Amino acid sequence: MPEKTDVWQGTLALMVLRTLESMGSMHGYGLARRIEQISGDRLQLNYGTLYPALLKLEQEGFVRSRWGTSENNRKAKFYELTRAGQARVRKAAAEWEKTTEILARFLAPAEEA
Amino acid sequence: MRKLRALFMRLIGLLRAQRSEDDFAAELESHIEMDVEEGMRAGLSAAEARRQALIRMGSAEQARQRQREQRTLPLVENLLLDLRYALRGFRRNPMFTCTAIATLALGIGTTTAVFSVVDPILFRSLPYAHGDRLVSFGLSQPLEPREFTLGFFFFDWRAHQRPFDSVTYERGVNECAITEQNPVQMQCASVASNFFSTFGIAPVLGREFTQEEDQPNGPPAVLISYALWRERYNRDQRILDKTVAIDGRSMKIVGVLPQDFEMPRLQHADMVLPARVDFAHQHAENAGLGVPLWAFARLKPGVTVEQAREQMQPLFAQMQSVIPAQFRKEFHLSVRSLRDRQMQDQYRAAWLLLAAVFAVLVISCANVAGLLAVRGRAREGELTVRMALGASRRRLMGQALVDAGLLAAMGAVSGCLLALGLLHIFVAIAPTGVLFLSNAHLDLRILCFAALLTIGCTGACGILPTLQNPRSPVPNARATCSSAQTGFRRALVVAQIAVCVILLSSALLLVESFRNLQKQGLGMDAGGSFVVHVSLTRARYASNEAYMTFFLQAESALRALPGVSAVAVSDSVPPDGDSWRDMMRYPDLVVSGKPRTPAGVGGKVGVRRVTPGYFAALGIPLERGHSFVEEDRSQSGAQLILSRSLAARMFPQENPIGQHIQIASYMPYFVLNGPVYTVVGVAGDVKNAGLSGEDDPEFYTLRRNRPEDWSNRNELVLSTELPVSTVAPWIRAQIARMDSTAPVEVVPMRQEVNRLADRPRFEAALVGFFAFSGLLLSVIGLYGVIAYIAAQRTKEIGVRMALGATRANILRLITAEGLRLLLVGGAIGLAVSLLLASLLQKLLFHVSAHEPLSYAVVTALLALVGGCATLLPAIRAMKTDPMIALRTE
Repeated sequence: MPEKTDVWQGTLALMVLRTLESMGSMHGYGLARRIEQISGDRLQLNYGTLYPALLKLEQEGFVRSRWGTSENNRKAKFYELTRAGQARVRKAAAEWEKTTEILARFLAPAEEA
Repeated sequence: MRKLRALFMRLIGLLRAQRSEDDFAAELESHIEMDVEEGMRAGLSAAEARRQALIRMGSAEQARQRQREQRTLPLVENLLLDLRYALRGFRRNPMFTCTAIATLALGIGTTTAVFSVVDPILFRSLPYAHGDRLVSFGLSQPLEPREFTLGFFFFDWRAHQRPFDSVTYERGVNECAITEQNPVQMQCASVASNFFSTFGIAPVLGREFTQEEDQPNGPPAVLISYALWRERYNRDQRILDKTVAIDGRSMKIVGVLPQDFEMPRLQHADMVLPARVDFAHQHAENAGLGVPLWAFARLKPGVTVEQAREQMQPLFAQMQSVIPAQFRKEFHLSVRSLRDRQMQDQYRAAWLLLAAVFAVLVISCANVAGLLAVRGRAREGELTVRMALGASRRRLMGQALVDAGLLAAMGAVSGCLLALGLLHIFVAIAPTGVLFLSNAHLDLRILCFAALLTIGCTGACGILPTLQNPRSPVPNARATCSSAQTGFRRALVVAQIAVCVILLSSALLLVESFRNLQKQGLGMDAGGSFVVHVSLTRARYASNEAYMTFFLQAESALRALPGVSAVAVSDSVPPDGDSWRDMMRYPDLVVSGKPRTPAGVGGKVGVRRVTPGYFAALGIPLERGHSFVEEDRSQSGAQLILSRSLAARMFPQENPIGQHIQIASYMPYFVLNGPVYTVVGVAGDVKNAGLSGEDDPEFYTLRRNRPEDWSNRNELVLSTELPVSTVAPWIRAQIARMDSTAPVEVVPMRQEVNRLADRPRFEAALVGFFAFSGLLLSVIGLYGVIAYIAAQRTKEIGVRMALGATRANILRLITAEGLRLLLVGGAIGLAVSLLLASLLQKLLFHVSAHEPLSYAVVTALLALVGGCATLLPAIRAMKTDPMIALRTE
């Protein structure tokens, strides 16, 4: 069993947004499972933290929620991106890429010292 | 932007807490169900699938808490919780709540209202640019204690003075009239050309007077008041091109005075004219004395009023040598700040009020402190439990703060309302003589000050228990801490009682003084008497003869009215509160065949010039001889009636009737060239120095039908059984028939007398009000501390009773505690008020400030009320069931 990593501070929101962007409308459980799957089961997601993160995104207007019926005919709350949310994903993704790129340069072995 | 939106959503979240809570519960539930389903699909048993789902979820409660914190603002939520808790606490204990709020409201409200009234009197800044450097200077003497100057020395002083930057003068305010279309009666002031620059008054339009305009026969010019500009000229911007006819002379309007303009002696003035004093000829005018002037000056920077007085002394000494030796001692140099001159006797009353107000503020702060201490004590148990259950100290303090803050806020709001109401009442009942009161408004600074003080006090006292408790959780330590607190509270109550005694005794003295004022006889029958004042202008009535003709005609016209029994004309009327009356020195009366009284002896004597109906119209009894009779008006013989006190002084052994008296005049020095008066009667004494002043002896001379007996001072007096509403229109109609432009005032004598009593009534009412609120507050405080002490000693009482103490013993135990506080506080209060009493003396009428009766009443009242406040908790303690008492704690 590979060692699992905790979700880094601040990245959960991006993961949620990104997942919603690619998958469309999803309920909380599906979202959690999906994030775990994408990480190749390498992320340890505390479900308890997922919901406050969702609520915060909703309060900021990036996602909206409504009650619906799941594929198994179960009542569940579905989340989807708003227009602002879509813009946010693009912006945040670009920023994240830039950050990782910079970090990568620091972490890369010294080329010509 | 997004953050704001989130904040807003969280605020909204506060409102829908329950719904969101359910919503989230359902969401969690569906989450777990789905997890379980998936586990079962993977082949787990239902129970195992649920177990693993719950593990993955982590603590559901924690999730819920996190969700809740994210959904709303925890800080606000706690605050709301505390508020709700505090309100519930208040509702459960309405006695405490009402008392605390009332205490705060009284403290804040009265302080603010009274300070708002007193502030313009004590601390108002003068509406002049150089306000704090302005002084009034001149001579004062017994007949005119407020400083004035005369033309014969003023210009000399002005030329040789050193302490002042600038010296100016005004010549008083006279009636004048605008004599063009829409003629109106106005008040015209006359001032020197440098008047405005000395005071630092800048006209809103135009300029001040030039030197040429201030010359005798200079170009006519006038400055008009802002109100006149607004009302008569509708704020005409081209007003400076206009002229206005004043008393028949066309004058150029050269400027408009600022809105807050006022004359330094606070007379009302609609227009200001140049004084045009011919100072080269002062030695020739007014029998060599020159015209009277009221002098004002601006001190040089750094020069104090005392230094100015010293530097003026040589000039004064030089001038004094001109005064006849016999009067020299009567004159004094007076140099004082303009503010002092304006405020005169208002200072003392204002300070008294201010002191009373702060006393009440102190009492109410002490009271709130006491009340909250009782509450804190009652809460000690609760606090300990909450602390044990894990409440943080910050959380407890926060709650105490919210509790106290809410209380203080409610107190502050009701205090503001009270202040507003009180201010209206004050303005309504205030006598007209209290300067600036009519435009008093709620003073925000003092409102904030009083509110902050009481709120701070409330907050500090409210938070105290939470500060003390955590450090001393051991019961033993707590007990000692409480007893220290009790000592503090005892001291508070003693202070309260002392302050209250001071307030009460001052109030009683003032009330007593007011009653004396009301009770005293006026010496006349004011019931059916009316005073009719007709304003005539010098322009239309140029000579004394014109006045005489008018008023003789008015006298006979009024006499013809039905129901009017007597009519007379006098140059002044009692009780002379603030109106003009003629005075002379006692030695100026020279009895034929007797030596003259040496100068400077005998004080002042009043004189009135009246027509024969005077005594009948005012109901003044004639004790000897007879009144003036109608026939004598056309005779040449001069007649005179003495007041009883004057007759007793001049003729202690003899019959005054038939004596001959001559009146000295000063031209400028003592001459005896006037008519010889024959004394025909002695009239009763009448109040003639206001209601509270020391009466002066006086005499009356007959106004014959000769111009030399008349002047421009004329008051009609009449007596009738009819009400003012009936008589006044008739009188107006009669006067209008003679001169339709003359304004007429009809004032019942009773009303005039009441008006003079307004001021002492106002003072007595205000201080009485404070004393009452002080008493109320002190009693609450006393009750609180005794109840507190009794409650604290419940266990001790139980032990005592178990060991055989009777109920009477217990009653005595608790009562003694209260009585000790009363005794100490009362004694301190009485001692201090006796010390302070001399400060009050000037405000009192026919009451000694050390009058034992007042102090006895205060003591009795305090004993009675304080006794009740002690007895109630003592009786409750007495009824304690020892079993229950022992079980407490």
